[in-house]
Amino acid sequence: MEKQIRRKDGSLKSVSYAKWGFIFIAPFFLVYIVFTLIPQFLTLYNSFFENYRDGLKQIGPNFVGLDNYKELFSPDGNGTILVLRYTLNTLIMWLLGAIPQFVIAMLLAIFFTSYRLKIKGQGFFKSVIYMPNLIMAAAFSMLFFTLFDMTGPIHYVLVENGIIDASFDFFSNRVTVRSLIALMNFLMWFGNTTIVLMAGIMGIDQSLFESATIDGANPVQVFFRVTFPLLMPIFVYCLITAMIGGIQMYDVPQVLTKGNGSPNGLSKTLVMYLNSYFGPSKNYGMAGALSVYIFVITGSLGFFVYKRLSAPYKDSARKHRRRKGDVI
Amino acid sequence: MKKLIVILLAAVMLLSIVGCAGQGGTQPAAEQGKVFNIYAWNEEFKGFFEKYYTVPEGVTVNWIINPSDNGVYQQKLDEALLNQANASADEKIDMFLAEADYIGKYVDSEYTMDVTSFGFKNADTMYDYTIKAASDSNGVCKGVSFQCCPAAVIYRKSIAKDVLGTDVPEEVQAQIDTWEKFDAVAAQAKEKGYYMTASFAETFRAFSNNCTMPWVDKDNKLQFDPQITAWMDQTEKYIANGYTLTAGVWDAEKTNQMFKDGKTMCFFGPAWYYNFCMTNAQDKENGCVGDWCIVKGPQAYFWGGTWLLAATGSDNTDMLKDIFETFTTNEDVCSKLVENENQYPNNTKVVEKYAKDESYGNTAILDGQNDIAVFAELAKDIKWENHTNYDQLLNEGLQNKLQEFYKGSVDKETAMKNFYQYVKETYATITVPEN
Amino acid sequence: MSKQSGAVNRKRGLSDNTKGMVKLTALRVIVYAILIFLSFLCLFFFYLMIINASRTHADLQKGFTLLPGGNFIQNLVNAWNDASINIPRGMLNSLIIALATAVLTTYFSALTAYGIHAYDFRGKKLVFTFILAVMMIPSQVSAVGFVQLMNKMGLHDSYIPLIVPGIAAPVVFFYMKQYMESVLPLDLVAAARVDGSGEFRTFNTIVLPLLKPAIAVQMIFSFVSSWNNYFIPALLLDKPEKKTVPIMIAQLRSADYSKFDMGKVFMFILLAILPVMIVYIILSKSIIKGITAGSVKG
Repeated sequence: MEKQIRRKDGSLKSVSYAKWGFIFIAPFFLVYIVFTLIPQFLTLYNSFFENYRDGLKQIGPNFVGLDNYKELFSPDGNGTILVLRYTLNTLIMWLLGAIPQFVIAMLLAIFFTSYRLKIKGQGFFKSVIYMPNLIMAAAFSMLFFTLFDMTGPIHYVLVENGIIDASFDFFSNRVTVRSLIALMNFLMWFGNTTIVLMAGIMGIDQSLFESATIDGANPVQVFFRVTFPLLMPIFVYCLITAMIGGIQMYDVPQVLTKGNGSPNGLSKTLVMYLNSYFGPSKNYGMAGALSVYIFVITGSLGFFVYKRLSAPYKDSARKHRRRKGDVI
Repeated sequence: MKKLIVILLAAVMLLSIVGCAGQGGTQPAAEQGKVFNIYAWNEEFKGFFEKYYTVPEGVTVNWIINPSDNGVYQQKLDEALLNQANASADEKIDMFLAEADYIGKYVDSEYTMDVTSFGFKNADTMYDYTIKAASDSNGVCKGVSFQCCPAAVIYRKSIAKDVLGTDVPEEVQAQIDTWEKFDAVAAQAKEKGYYMTASFAETFRAFSNNCTMPWVDKDNKLQFDPQITAWMDQTEKYIANGYTLTAGVWDAEKTNQMFKDGKTMCFFGPAWYYNFCMTNAQDKENGCVGDWCIVKGPQAYFWGGTWLLAATGSDNTDMLKDIFETFTTNEDVCSKLVENENQYPNNTKVVEKYAKDESYGNTAILDGQNDIAVFAELAKDIKWENHTNYDQLLNEGLQNKLQEFYKGSVDKETAMKNFYQYVKETYATITVPEN
Repeated sequence: MSKQSGAVNRKRGLSDNTKGMVKLTALRVIVYAILIFLSFLCLFFFYLMIINASRTHADLQKGFTLLPGGNFIQNLVNAWNDASINIPRGMLNSLIIALATAVLTTYFSALTAYGIHAYDFRGKKLVFTFILAVMMIPSQVSAVGFVQLMNKMGLHDSYIPLIVPGIAAPVVFFYMKQYMESVLPLDLVAAARVDGSGEFRTFNTIVLPLLKPAIAVQMIFSFVSSWNNYFIPALLLDKPEKKTVPIMIAQLRSADYSKFDMGKVFMFILLAILPVMIVYIILSKSIIKGITAGSVKG
């Protein structure tokens, strides 16, 4: 009932307050245009040009239309379209790490916020699980390398126990190298996701839980009917940013495989590929085309996830919350 | 809020105006500048410079040191050189350092200056290859090196004794002075349970330094020198027969072979290799100091080295000349480089002095052998021919792609095709063989 | 998740209170077991870092051990006194940049998100979609162009290109927007308006405190990523007194052989984690505080 009175109020006021929306978003856009949009536009522009260096000599820019894109999608000597292989690598390695990352993070966030469990030493656990995220990715990867290298302790123990052959190389086997990269990504990011989800759950109005419990809902029902729908925006945020981060995966596989993406390019990611064009030839043409491709992939996946997950939530969330339009 | 943005934008504009104003700077022709800018990637040379060179009064020396990680050093150097014409006199680069692996990129450009233009003359005492490395395709020399890096075969005496029945350098050398003999010894070593080398790429530089043609032909097509294919054949055989390991030259699996209980007979490296790569051999408990000797091996070669290049547009040419002379022809300084810094200087006269010195011997790692005498002989045979700007990354790429084959992850054909793809990605200008 | 829900389901079927307590205790045991296992995994790598930081370069070359070496203090002294880098200065530089970035990023992202969340204006959907779209552009893409542009603007060796772009951080904006969707009741804003509060004041005094947990979370993240950023600062900063921690670490790693010392490198990496750790602990407290302070709503 209150809602309706407010709605009338709000719709009257919405006209006069519109300018504040513009004022509030203005700094973002000014800075964005000056510092980011121009370089990004140059990237797109470059993708239609032949533009690279031979030593210190600049070749181009010469307009070549879509040639860079054609080159990007043409198969290499082994008949593989590399950009597709690297896309697949990137997605596989991301998913391998992201699935456990989200399952564990969700569980931990529930544990930490549960008033029934009352976990002790929360401060300790929360700090510790976030710690791997504090180390530079390159340094973290260096540590992993020394652990799993041919001379590392894990190799030694496994060989001693006859589990692997002495010549087995973790970084030359598709399954192990991808799993290690996924494991590192998991360790580095599950604490981060836990914190975000936890902050999200803690932001939810406690009275909603209480009333649901009074209505006779069991904890599972509370989670799926109340917590999860209300957490959905934050969950979507986590998923999409994790995906963006995953597609931009670079340091970990780069350091672990010494930039080779071994074996046979099966652990090479899209950004590692992008970096090979930024090498001595400064091939901005090809790098531009590849960047646009990465953007298209991320964008379409991102929007798919956003649309798929945001739409159903909106219906259920409406029951619990007044819509913004209702007020202002 | 608005205010902040306005201030911000104003600041940005102001700064860009200031930046543009700087471009108008003119440079006096003969007058010497007061600021000397040096680009480098670490502090090695800076240390020698500060100890052994007296900076003229009134001149400030700026060291712009950028790490080589992720190619930052070259990236910044390139930007600065491309902007050199627009920079004000005090901001221009006067001198920069370059390594053997990419020196060609800078020497073969307009951004480096003929040393004779400011009156420097290459001395007879300098090693020929160091001059060639700093000269462009027309033979115009653009800089000097303060060191020379002849490389040798460093062998374990105890293993040589077991395999060959002798550990005397002359006798060992006689048994491995060609690659055929070296291969035969590898087989003998294998029979006794040893490895000949500890990395598939250990012998690479000994071959690649002796190439008779560059990596690309005149049409910029990739080509394989017989030396490179010889290395590939040798390595394939060594891996198949178990004469060597699949580890890379820098891997721990290889360096662990330098411990007392290591099973590897030969390592390939120059003088700096002792300190940089052989710390395991110098380990107090598990090392084997004194169990090492050096010989020439099958082919003379070099590894590494740092050059000082004169940047076009420098207004401190007198000082450039002075620095170049100090670190090449000044015998006093060159002797100090040997005695205090463990350097192998670019001065044959000074080197001869130590090579003939009966009292000189290396006990830090060798058995007291006069290694300078060996290196001095080697240095005479070093060639600088058929190098290209592409060498460093093509050599690395070939080794990395073939390593996957040696490790058994791909077949040889795939490895080679992966290498061609790598070449295409790294250097847009090179054409690779079609399928 | 299945373990917990299973336990909970079974609990529901039992009316006996003590049996419920037993189930709860069993659940707690499982939860603690999971937490301890994960904590062990995470701490293990810090243990490795400390071990490595306590060993000499020669020891590190030998390979790996689980036991510490005796060189911890020496490595600390060596790193601190290294002639080519100035650790306290680097830490201070990094701290200035990371703190400024964290503050600007979170404040302006919240402001932008609020601008879109709380007001209706024409093109609002388009603006939101635009920011979401640019969020998908990989940051590496524009790095080189960005550096060239900054050099042209005369911002070489300046901290402006490292701090100011933080104002436009699509990812942080997106988080703030999502967070507001799930926790910010707009009737509170309307109420403030009725009380005669100006729009900026409402945002600063009413909305921001409600967002405390979100702000703390994003401050941590942006602080950490700014602190660990190597590539762009390395390309923009030349003067030794301007350099940041990751550049100095890279410099130690590319030192020449007479000075190269991995023990020193690991020590510096370890030292570099400490400030981030402290900031994290301080801010994570304010996540909790923010919750209790934010109980006005509802």
